[in-house]
Amino acid sequence: MKSVSELTDFYYKELYPSINKLEETRKRIVSQLKFYGGMGIVAFAIVALWMGKNFGLLHPLSIALVIGFIILASITYRFMTNGYAKDFKAKIITPMIGAIDPHLLYNPDFMVSQHLFERSELFKHSIDRYSGNDYVKGSIGGVSLEFSDIHAEYQTRDSKGRTQWHTLFRGLFLVAEFNKHFKAKTVILPDYAEKSFGSLIGGWLQSINFTREGLIRMDDPEFEKHFVVYGSDQIEARYILTHSMMKRILDFQRRVSHPLFISFVHNHIHVGIATGKDLFEPAVFTSLLDYKQTMEYVNTLQNTIGLVEELKLNEKLWSKE
Amino acid sequence: MQIFLIVLGALALIAILMYNSLIGKKNQVENIFAGVDTVLKKRYDLIPNLVASVERYMEHEKDTLEKVTQYRAQAMKPGISDDQKIALDAKLTAALGSITVAMEGYPDLKANENVMHLQRSLSEIEEQISAARRAYNQAVTDLNNAIEMFPTNLMAGWMNLQRRAVFEITVTERQNVDVNALFNR
Repeated sequence: MKSVSELTDFYYKELYPSINKLEETRKRIVSQLKFYGGMGIVAFAIVALWMGKNFGLLHPLSIALVIGFIILASITYRFMTNGYAKDFKAKIITPMIGAIDPHLLYNPDFMVSQHLFERSELFKHSIDRYSGNDYVKGSIGGVSLEFSDIHAEYQTRDSKGRTQWHTLFRGLFLVAEFNKHFKAKTVILPDYAEKSFGSLIGGWLQSINFTREGLIRMDDPEFEKHFVVYGSDQIEARYILTHSMMKRILDFQRRVSHPLFISFVHNHIHVGIATGKDLFEPAVFTSLLDYKQTMEYVNTLQNTIGLVEELKLNEKLWSKE
Repeated sequence: MQIFLIVLGALALIAILMYNSLIGKKNQVENIFAGVDTVLKKRYDLIPNLVASVERYMEHEKDTLEKVTQYRAQAMKPGISDDQKIALDAKLTAALGSITVAMEGYPDLKANENVMHLQRSLSEIEEQISAARRAYNQAVTDLNNAIEMFPTNLMAGWMNLQRRAVFEITVTERQNVDVNALFNR
């Protein structure tokens, strides 16, 4: 397992030839985008002027024109950047993951299965649309793990019968083997109730949450402030969440600064980090040599894969070895 | 007259809710103590084996070993109260801890696979016991709070509910048992 600075070195030194080539492609795409963008705007302006004269700006045809232009522009953008994104994943992300640990496999188009996502019980809502990418699978220090970007959505209908899509979860989802045996389910969620209503009313609201099993109050005040724990077994939940484990989870939460969802089901730990965006997607308008951007890729990988060591999942129980 | 009936009904409802929540808390404590008991028994089952295997080596710790056997016998006696069990458990944990430390001084023991096996099983059970203790303490704290806080204290007094003792959590227990560090020294 490499450190962040080693990885940054790897990025700027080992990957330099590929980065340079890709950077050329990126610059070409940006200038093409600017060219087509400019042409598009001029064409749009001419057509819009003509339409405005003949039909008026609020005419349905004019509105259709605007929408048509937006769709055309986004299709063009996708089409032009798609190859670049693929190249980026193949030539930058793949070797980086290999550098972190040769036991890791990477597939940009695959994702953690919906079955595993639902098994985690982190989200009780039914899922109507499930997608993802950037799948990594392998083992770190003898602990098998897999993770990917996940976007889970559900559908509702309003009074007029229109369907609306709502995001249930968007971000990184990780499943890893846990180092202890357990039978019950334990779910750790961000504590919204206690934060917004205080410990008295919030605590009461948590205890009457009917979609979840029993509320488990932990004996770490700091942990209790950030998370709420539900589970089917009071003793087993504490067997998993030792004082040191709670501290490690808190430390991890401080570093990722996105809502954290963790569950322990079926001898596995499931972690959802709700980043709200797609990771490892190259930003066409930012240079590949940009330090901040690079650090984001490196840190995301390091944080996710490093979770195994951070939570000491590799220190297995002797009877589980 | 109607208002009087409504007030009476509301009071009765509150009383029922308080009664039920107190009973729920009391049962939760008993339920979890059953869990504590199970893991404690697991440890009691290992103790005779451990004592028998280390006795030959540990001449100087005869007293401690005897004490461990004694505490175990007391804890296994039928009909002892929960509070007594808790007190015995604290003594037993301390005595077992000192044996573990003393074992460091006997290289022969560390080479004995049987003893190491027992010792590792014990430290795994120790983690389970620690979790069970914490769960029990939380349940007892909930019950004790309800017994002492107004207005449930009135109801608890009438129901004759008593405060329960909690397990003392030692400082070493707050740290995770690091099995690797214990055996790789």
